[in-house]
Amino acid sequence: MRKALTIGTMITFVAGTALWLATSVSAQGGGTVEVEVKYNGPAKVDKLKVNKDTEKCGTETVVEHVVVGGNKGLANAVASAPGAKGASKAKAVLDQHGCKFVPHVVVMQPGELEIKNSDDILHNLHTYSTANPSINKAQPKFKKTMTEKLDKPEFVKVTCDVHSWMLGWVAVVPGVAAVTDKDGVAKLENVPAGKQKIEVWHETLGKQEKEVDVKAGAVTKVSFEMKGK
Amino acid sequence: MRPTSAGRRPPIRAHLLRCLVAPSLRRGRATSQSGDSSAPRIWTLLGGLCRSRVVRLIVCAGVAASLSLAADIRAAYAQQGDANAGKVLYERKCAGCHGDKGDGKGAAAELLLPRPRDFTKGLYKIRTTANKTASDQDLFRIISDGMPGTSMPPWAVLPDKERWNLVAYIKTFAADAFKEAPKKLELPKDVSSSEASIKRGKEMFEAIECHKCHGTEGRADGPSRPELKDEWGFPVAPANLAKRWNFRGGSSRTEIATRIANGVLGTPMPAFLDAVEKPEDIWHLTNFIMSLGPDRPAFSTLVTISSTKDAIPDDPNAEAWKKAAASAIPLMGQVIVDPRNFNPVIDLVTIRGLYNDKEVAFHLTWDDPSESKGDGKQTFPDAIALQFPPKIIAGTERPYFLMGDANEAVYLLRWEQGKGVAESSANGPTKIAPIQGGEASGKAVYANGQYRLVIKRPMAAQGDARPTFQPAQFTPVAIQAWDGGSGETGTKMSLTSWYYLRLEEPQSNRRFVIPPVVAILTLAAMFLVVRAANRAR
Repeated sequence: MRKALTIGTMITFVAGTALWLATSVSAQGGGTVEVEVKYNGPAKVDKLKVNKDTEKCGTETVVEHVVVGGNKGLANAVASAPGAKGASKAKAVLDQHGCKFVPHVVVMQPGELEIKNSDDILHNLHTYSTANPSINKAQPKFKKTMTEKLDKPEFVKVTCDVHSWMLGWVAVVPGVAAVTDKDGVAKLENVPAGKQKIEVWHETLGKQEKEVDVKAGAVTKVSFEMKGK
Repeated sequence: MRPTSAGRRPPIRAHLLRCLVAPSLRRGRATSQSGDSSAPRIWTLLGGLCRSRVVRLIVCAGVAASLSLAADIRAAYAQQGDANAGKVLYERKCAGCHGDKGDGKGAAAELLLPRPRDFTKGLYKIRTTANKTASDQDLFRIISDGMPGTSMPPWAVLPDKERWNLVAYIKTFAADAFKEAPKKLELPKDVSSSEASIKRGKEMFEAIECHKCHGTEGRADGPSRPELKDEWGFPVAPANLAKRWNFRGGSSRTEIATRIANGVLGTPMPAFLDAVEKPEDIWHLTNFIMSLGPDRPAFSTLVTISSTKDAIPDDPNAEAWKKAAASAIPLMGQVIVDPRNFNPVIDLVTIRGLYNDKEVAFHLTWDDPSESKGDGKQTFPDAIALQFPPKIIAGTERPYFLMGDANEAVYLLRWEQGKGVAESSANGPTKIAPIQGGEASGKAVYANGQYRLVIKRPMAAQGDARPTFQPAQFTPVAIQAWDGGSGETGTKMSLTSWYYLRLEEPQSNRRFVIPPVVAILTLAAMFLVVRAANRAR
């Protein structure tokens, strides 16, 4: 009984210390950067009629090249703080669902990407990469998941040759990174305080970067305006 | 190594290449290493030495082992080509299509489909490696054997050393891509072909949805076919799996299994090694694909039309047609008059025929990846025509094979999608006049990438423009075909030169009567002779 109590106390102590350490680190070293990406140009979303696998793909589909939301916010842009270590270690997942890549842009740390096929029909994952080995692998209906290695930072176009409209991007980005939502906003958490380079990339509108002064425990806002090509 | 044959490539492609870059094309086998030829002699010599004593065997085995090691070293040495020497040769033999910079933009590139390889990316379709770096041996093999069904001819005419020099030079266009060492692809354990294996292969073919591009029966007519593009953005056609003599990377079992496992780099064909249920399914798929068509077509030189006493069926799928003799005839692109057809789709038509005392019927089978009625802009109606002289006379005099000329007309029996069969008289490919009072009819069916068509006509004909068919007469015939779905129309067609067609004589029942009668009479005569001889004794 006494032994159990001692162990319990020790666990509480260790856990408490760890918690204190964790909060103090984030309080002292980390802040949030709220990146807002705007685009003044027209949206470019292609609507296409689908003529095969309609029971899985539907009869119509949209190809998201440039998605502009409320207040001219640009969706599907990747914001990143390359200097910020300690990003989420969770494995990134790219799904093929309804004959679309979900999400349209997936962000991952250099490492492994999990590719799912939720459609119960054949897809093939065809990447157009230069830094990483290019992949063209079949994923038949019975192969629900597969894992691919993407070790080098790169923005990789992904297509499926069976369904020519399918278009997706894998952003292999070191540091803290996130994709902008429909209003063009992405939150980068746990960015170390001090001067940090923030980069924004979009599949058709290119790249921009800015330097911001991140304050620990606070939200720093930075705004980008992408220019049409 | 795979044997090569003259039937592998439409001759016109080779001809085009010859005009452009003027190699003397000789088909031959590619030898993998220059040291190979001397090796057998060494083994014979060793065998002779070793035969005498058991003790010597051990010594000989040692010598043999070191000799084979030496052969390996020699092979490795042979692979070290001289890039500078290769450059000179490349500019003479290869640049016409592949471009001086190796970017696949040579003078002829515009006309070729598939396009010549762009070497600057270091991406190679046909490789035996597990990673994307092709091995030197892979490059050497394609240079030596060429790529069937494309404009890349086999260059076995060049000495081994020069081909290795070309390998070395081609690699310099994408030096970075070759920094990673090639890793050999390990195929699963071979499963030999059997009924059960082919059945399993078919199941897997359906489960992994090969038909999406290659079609249900493998004739390249899958629903995704029209949109397929390679990594350069050029249209690329899926392979017709029933015509494996056209497979770019060869048609042996190992080559087919390697393509399935590895994919075809730079094209939509993905790697399936990790995408089948069990690794050995790669071999079941291979065995199934091998079952879809012959190794290579047995081309005919004479078209035989069989006689029948029955009515001739209109239905192209009728049982009677399956029994009729089939003649496979190769077609090539029309490249004599503009606009020319450098990349013909229809390269083979199979003809069967039946006739009775009233009518003659021709049954044509050919692969076409799409049934096209045509939009009149980019696509046109699919069509096929049989060409005959208007009057069949003995001898070798025939009208000009390309639809006749101003002096001599030809008679055309032409079927067109949506219109049916019509008769016409032509004095050249652009001077075609319909013949009034149609006597011909026809019925076509299209299924799974293949047309089957029956064209019927009375044996005897009215007027001077139509020939009358007669049994046992050598009748000149030529074929023209259009894949309207690929934009073929007018002079953009596939064609043949003149062939001969012969209506078999009707076979009378006398052949069943006369031989037995002769046999009985002979026997009787022999019997009489023997008896007479016995009596005389």
